[in-house]
Amino acid sequence: MTPDEIGRLMAQAAHRAFTDGEAGDRAAAARAEAAILHDLRPVRPLAPDSLYTLILVLLCAAAAVDAASVLGMAGLRALSPAQCVLVFSALLAGACLAAVACTRAMRPASGKNLGPLAWILAPSLLAAVVALAFEGYGTGGLVNEGVPCLKAGLCLALPTGLAISLLLRRGFILNRSAAGLAAGALAGIAGVAMLELHCPNLKAIHVMVWHVGVVIASGGIGFFLGLASRSRLVAR
Amino acid sequence: MIDSAESLESLMARYQQADEGAASALVGRVTPLLRRYFLLQASNRTHADDLLQDTWMRLHRARHTYRPYEPLLPWVLAIARYASLDNYRKASRRESHERQVDVLPDPPNPVTGPADSPDIDTLLSALPQRQREVIVMLKISGMSIDEVARATSSSPGSVKQKAHRAYQKLREILSAKESTK
Repeated sequence: MTPDEIGRLMAQAAHRAFTDGEAGDRAAAARAEAAILHDLRPVRPLAPDSLYTLILVLLCAAAAVDAASVLGMAGLRALSPAQCVLVFSALLAGACLAAVACTRAMRPASGKNLGPLAWILAPSLLAAVVALAFEGYGTGGLVNEGVPCLKAGLCLALPTGLAISLLLRRGFILNRSAAGLAAGALAGIAGVAMLELHCPNLKAIHVMVWHVGVVIASGGIGFFLGLASRSRLVAR
Repeated sequence: MIDSAESLESLMARYQQADEGAASALVGRVTPLLRRYFLLQASNRTHADDLLQDTWMRLHRARHTYRPYEPLLPWVLAIARYASLDNYRKASRRESHERQVDVLPDPPNPVTGPADSPDIDTLLSALPQRQREVIVMLKISGMSIDEVARATSSSPGSVKQKAHRAYQKLREILSAKESTK
C-alpha cells in the first residue's frame, strides 16, 4: 500500500468522522468571527528577522562595552592581538547564533529551532577556543579569583536579558522556554564580552570556568524563567 | 469585494490592514481546516471547538507576526499546535487534581464508518502524538513537507522520517485488518 493510498483512506475516514460537516464548520466560524471582528485594528507586520538579529547583537555589544568602560579595560590591554581576534570572533559567532534563535522565537513558523545539541556544542566550542587562546591550568585561587567575575558577568547579564525580553515581546512567542534559553545565552555572552574587556586574569582555567560559566548560568536562568512563565500561562 | 479564488496569504495581508471582509473570508476558509486538525487530535476531541476559539484569539493577537505573502498555513498551524499543547498541559494538570471514581463512565460511541473500512480513530490512535500531527497536516490538511516542517519548527528530513514511520505503522494496521476479513 503506497503513502498516497494510505492518504486517500485517511481522507475518506476523516470525511466520515466529521458528522456535523459544514454546519458545524459554519457555526464555529461564526463564533470565531464574532470574537475577532470587534477588535479589528490595522497592524504593522514585524520588521525583518535580520534587523532584529542586528539590533540584538548591537544591544549586547553596547552593554558589554558600556559596562567595561565603567569598570576599566584592563583585560583588553592584557590580551595579545591574536587572543583578541580568537576570543572576540568566537563571542561574535555565539552572539549571532543566540540572536538568530531569539528572532526565530519571536515569530511562529519562522524556521527550525536550535536543537539541544547546538546549545551543548556552542559553549563547548567557546571553551575550546579559550583553551586554544590561553594557557595556565593551575587551580590555586581558582574560586577566590573567579566568584567576583561570575557575579560581575551575571550582574550585567540580568539587565541585558531583561532588555532582550522586552524586545522579544514585540513578537508572539510560542515556545517560552526556548526563547528564555536563547535570551539568557545572548545576555550571558554580553557578560562574557564585558569580562574579556575588563578582567586581566588570562589563566585558561579561570576564563573557561568563570567567564564561560556566565553564559551557561545565564542561559539556564533564562530557560527556567521561560518555563515558569509558560506554567503560569497554562495555569491561568 | 472578496474573490473566492483569492489566496489565503492575500486575505491575511488584508486582515492585517483591518479589512473586515477579508477577515470574515479568512475565518470561513481556515476554520474547517483548523477544526479537522483539532478533532483529529484524539486527546482533545471533546474540546475541539474551545480550542478553535482559543486559537483564533491567539491568531488575532499574533497577526502582526505574519510576514505578508509567506505561506499562511504553517504559521496558522504552528499557533494551533501550541494552543493544543497548552490545553493538553492544562487538562493533565486538572486531571491530576481530580478525585478518582470507582466506576468509570461509559465512553462515548466512537464515530465509525462502514464495517469493512477502518475508522479514523483506530488509524490515528495507533500513532504517537508527533507522528499523528505530521500525518494529519500532510494527509488531512494537505500541506507539503516543507510547510509541515515550518509549522512544527523542525527540518523537512525529520518530517519525512516521522511520516515514513507513521506509514509503516498504518500499513501494518491496514494489512492486519485485510487479513482478518
